[in-house]
Amino acid sequence: MENKGPENILNVDQERLEKRREANQWAVAWRRFKRNKAGLAGLFIVLFFVFIAITSPWLSPYPQRSYQTLYEGEAGQPPSLKHPFGTSRSGLDIYSEVLHGTLGDLYVGVGATIIAVLIGLAVGSIAGYSRGRLSDILLMISQIFYTIPLLPLILLAARIFLILVAQGFGLTLILILLGVFGWPTIAFIVRGEILRVRELEYIQASRALGAGRGRIILRHVIPNILTPIIVTATLMIAGNILTEVVISYLGFGDVNTSTWGLTIQEGYTYIRTEWWTTVFPGLATLFAVLGFNLLGDGLSDAINPRLRD
Amino acid sequence: MIPVFLGVSILTFTISNAAGDPLAILRQGLKSVSPQVIASLRAYYHLDQPLYVRYFYWLWDILHLNLGVSASGTPVADKIGPWVFTTLELQIPALLLAVLIGIPLGVYSARHPYSKGDVAVTGFALFGYSMPTFWLGLMMIIIFSLYLGWLPSAGAAGITRLWWGSELGDRLAHLLMPLLVLTYVQLATFVRLIRGNMLQTLRDDYVLAARACGLSERTVVYKHALRNAITPIVTIVGLSFGSSLAGAPGLETTFSWPGLGYQFVVATYSLDIPMIVGITVVITVMLMVANLITDLVYGMIDPRIRLG
Repeated sequence: MENKGPENILNVDQERLEKRREANQWAVAWRRFKRNKAGLAGLFIVLFFVFIAITSPWLSPYPQRSYQTLYEGEAGQPPSLKHPFGTSRSGLDIYSEVLHGTLGDLYVGVGATIIAVLIGLAVGSIAGYSRGRLSDILLMISQIFYTIPLLPLILLAARIFLILVAQGFGLTLILILLGVFGWPTIAFIVRGEILRVRELEYIQASRALGAGRGRIILRHVIPNILTPIIVTATLMIAGNILTEVVISYLGFGDVNTSTWGLTIQEGYTYIRTEWWTTVFPGLATLFAVLGFNLLGDGLSDAINPRLRD
Repeated sequence: MIPVFLGVSILTFTISNAAGDPLAILRQGLKSVSPQVIASLRAYYHLDQPLYVRYFYWLWDILHLNLGVSASGTPVADKIGPWVFTTLELQIPALLLAVLIGIPLGVYSARHPYSKGDVAVTGFALFGYSMPTFWLGLMMIIIFSLYLGWLPSAGAAGITRLWWGSELGDRLAHLLMPLLVLTYVQLATFVRLIRGNMLQTLRDDYVLAARACGLSERTVVYKHALRNAITPIVTIVGLSFGSSLAGAPGLETTFSWPGLGYQFVVATYSLDIPMIVGITVVITVMLMVANLITDLVYGMIDPRIRLG
């Protein structure tokens, strides 16, 4: 406490003001988010799954896609202390499969979303910022990608590319496919937001100062439309995980990497004798997706508090 | 609409032909086919032409409602017809049920926000859209088919015996589980959206004005507020019909429901290219029809849109 004299009171106040100003929109959003129990629960679920994904190589007792329990004579057993989620008749330790699957599914879910956001940002900002024909064409392409029956096309592409053309790409190919087909939602949001933002004074001011198109979009527009994109991306991760699970459940995914869907497929084969092979990977999917959905809803409430009291 | 159709058909056509020569793939199973047969097949399917020429041949055929001949030798159109019916038999009742149950639930939730009932409804919906549809189906198969033995687990009609006595009962028994699963998952989306829209609408000034006029709560909510809250829902119903149609492969495969989705999986597995392209095109056309109907209904509900 050096500023004791009355002449410094003004300074102290200004310091405090500075601190206030530092409490920017993110801090405000975080404060609001903290009060939302469902959103916090979602955040913890997501963090939990991220932790599992990172540590899965060390946490899980068996390597991925290992049928070792078959040789130990413990295949097809219900959950026990040694095999918490049981083993499949073919010899998979379901607990290990679920842990490894966390890594695989989060990889696809998050990676595909990143690709979709990048493409969506590019297409959406060009379509929103340019006028005339280019904008129309980009909109039409987005419309096409938005209307197509997504899952059938991805299944087809996965079948053709994974098995015949690009062997060895594995989950990364599924990731790319999901991203390449999933961007229009982001593009529409970006375009809408840009149309809203681009005539605001501060954009006109930077244009008057001689800033180029690219600089305006990257430095001034995108930071201001980031919040709805983050919300959509969080919800999109949930959707991508669900789609990946369907793809590998139907047998169009990577058969050499553990994913939840692949384990459920195994469970479907032996469904008459063992429920655990189906139930546990499904529960993992359910909770991971639930986590991302809760987090997304929580973020949306925190950023856009209109619906809150 | 036409660009969408062209876009989808070009995409499907290109992807399915990216695998290489379809005849080479077909021949993998049958090594003994003579070169003459291969040559005549090549000419018949125009495989000696470049891809874009083949696309126009195919487009020409499809404009004449000719979907080509599948790899198994039967015309694609003959096979797809019944599958469309089987898929719709599942999709349309599920959609109607989801709308009929979803709207009152969502309205209830919005009228009592953050009450116990609202938390229950919201939670119920949250689980619905966080769950893989097919997995819920598997859970129901385990419980109701394998443990309790109440319902059949596969197919759209009995083969060895009739369930519940009659032909109709048998179809109903087969329909029940996939229908419940699909209804629940779609319901979840609707409840969530209606709740959000209603929450906003109920705070609008005109609702306050309607209340101030002394109108009954029922009139205010269902006649004035709901009408405004429901317009975005119409779009969502259309979209969700589309996504559930496109998502049909998972659920239909689980229940071995012989619809478009299940057959698409079968065709894709065996790389039956005319069949794959045919089913994709039919699904796309159904999506576009759904979108068209959505637009028309939208025009009827929203007084701001008056056609011609």
